[in-house]
Amino acid sequence: MIEEVVMRQDIALGDFLTIFVSSALVLVFGGFYVGIYTAVKVNLLKNWTMFLAYSFWMLTAYCLYLMGSLMHVGEFTAKALVVAAIGLLLLPHAVYFMQHQVHEENEH
Amino acid sequence: MASNHLTGIGSESKQLATWYFAFAAIIFGAQLLFGLVAAIQYVMPGFLFEILDFSVARMLHINALVVWMVFAMFGAVYWLLPDETGIETIGIKVGKLLYWVFVAAIVIVILVYIFVQVGPADETSIWFIHEGREYIEAPRWADIGIVVVALGFVANLFMTGMTGKRSGIVTVLMADMIAFAGLYLTGMFFTDNITVDQYWWWWVIHLWVEATWEVYVGALAAYGLITMIGAHRKVVEMWLWIEVAMLFGSGILGMGHHYFWIGTPEYWWEIGALFSALEPLPLVAMFIHVLYDWGKTQGGQDATGQKLSVINNKPAFTWFVLNAFGNFLGAGIWGFFHTLPQVNLYTHGTQFTSAHGHLAFFGAYATILIGMMYIAVQGTNGIKVMKSTKSSIWAVSMIAGGVMGMTVALTVAGYVQVLVSRAQMGATWAGYFDGQSGLWFAQAMDWRLIMGVVTFTGFLFLAKDLLSIGKSQIHER
Repeated sequence: MIEEVVMRQDIALGDFLTIFVSSALVLVFGGFYVGIYTAVKVNLLKNWTMFLAYSFWMLTAYCLYLMGSLMHVGEFTAKALVVAAIGLLLLPHAVYFMQHQVHEENEH
Repeated sequence: MASNHLTGIGSESKQLATWYFAFAAIIFGAQLLFGLVAAIQYVMPGFLFEILDFSVARMLHINALVVWMVFAMFGAVYWLLPDETGIETIGIKVGKLLYWVFVAAIVIVILVYIFVQVGPADETSIWFIHEGREYIEAPRWADIGIVVVALGFVANLFMTGMTGKRSGIVTVLMADMIAFAGLYLTGMFFTDNITVDQYWWWWVIHLWVEATWEVYVGALAAYGLITMIGAHRKVVEMWLWIEVAMLFGSGILGMGHHYFWIGTPEYWWEIGALFSALEPLPLVAMFIHVLYDWGKTQGGQDATGQKLSVINNKPAFTWFVLNAFGNFLGAGIWGFFHTLPQVNLYTHGTQFTSAHGHLAFFGAYATILIGMMYIAVQGTNGIKVMKSTKSSIWAVSMIAGGVMGMTVALTVAGYVQVLVSRAQMGATWAGYFDGQSGLWFAQAMDWRLIMGVVTFTGFLFLAKDLLSIGKSQIHER
């Protein structure tokens, strides 16, 4: 019986730097997104800066797309990256909501 | 101002914690020293040739890393147990005896590594010299000793947790330490198939550093925030449970990223890709955890009209903040950019891995454990508000700057290897040598050595500071 050979597309030599930089920026921008979101919520930053937080999330999503397309990720990994991007978008909302509830119940 | 309920005076558990911290600091120094030897050998390959070869220096470097961290982790638990449970640790006499067993075992193992170095490659090697497993080389007799010590530690933790007040932090630690100790067993049995052996070895390494150790750090950060800035316990513990869920949720199956190329079934590519993509999320959460709690607590303080800092231990808090950043950078960014199989095919086993390893171990673990050492110094000396000395600042700057510099240098070296050894030369044997013979690689290794010296100098400042800061007159007592 002949086993199926997994064929995959090579990454172009000139794309490696873009891949590494965009992957790093995914988390850098993601960190800015949750950082600004949290700072606004605990009154360390003014409310108008919230749009910056969402702008950073968009940059994160773009970097994920760029990284994934240059790496030639398969269908499954592409879906995984979309899930990760949505997870990052929801993360500070969910966490802050829960924290806020606890704070309300235990105001000190 | 955070209420400082820490006092190390009169508590046997806290006294034992300081013993653990002291030995951890000594082994930390040894780790850096052997790391320097290995770094020199990259620049001057003949250095200590056939006296302390690279393989031996590297083995000592990475095993000392694990040992000092385990010592400091046990110490940190012994430190916080009386505070969290409201009672003295039960079984403390046994704990002290086991400490000496642990120290003796480690000293003998290190001496064997240095003076015997290589065994006859049969059962004798596995039982008395080393096992050939990175990070956990301890020979089997020492493995058994470590298991006994770990079980004793877990028993003390459980007996104390069940008898005293059981806070959320202690509950998490109890569950986590069972897994922490139990997982070590999967790195103890011998198999004659390298794929099977690696499969189980990753159960120790990955499920320690990306699951149980991270959860442990979450618990320690929670304790630190409560004691250092007076963060609200319910809020902090709420965070802790969120982090535990996220860390285990992504970290356990994230192990798939180590199963890409060792001969395991191909479905690990998908599992590894999915959960590795999710692994940074809890690290981002841990990063904002500190910001959130500090913002809330300082904001509450400022609202009363007092402009005082809520931090009662500046050097420790500095290391805790570094932990949040370092974890995010080292484990998060440096992990994420080579975790997907499509790119890991090129980066696997290059200096990228080493860059990630250096910054992740330092950022995620060394930082918070050093912070705990400062908390112990504060408690032992009965200091109300502890301030940073010049040595504290030099230590944190040089160690953090040195490790960051090493990481950048190793990243450059890894990038060269990816382009030359892998992408252009197709991962051939000749490509491996070509990748290491270029100017960029060689210069990166020079910089790594320079930054290693900076880190070691920072360690000397740290050691001096930990020994002297408690007696300084600058603190509020």
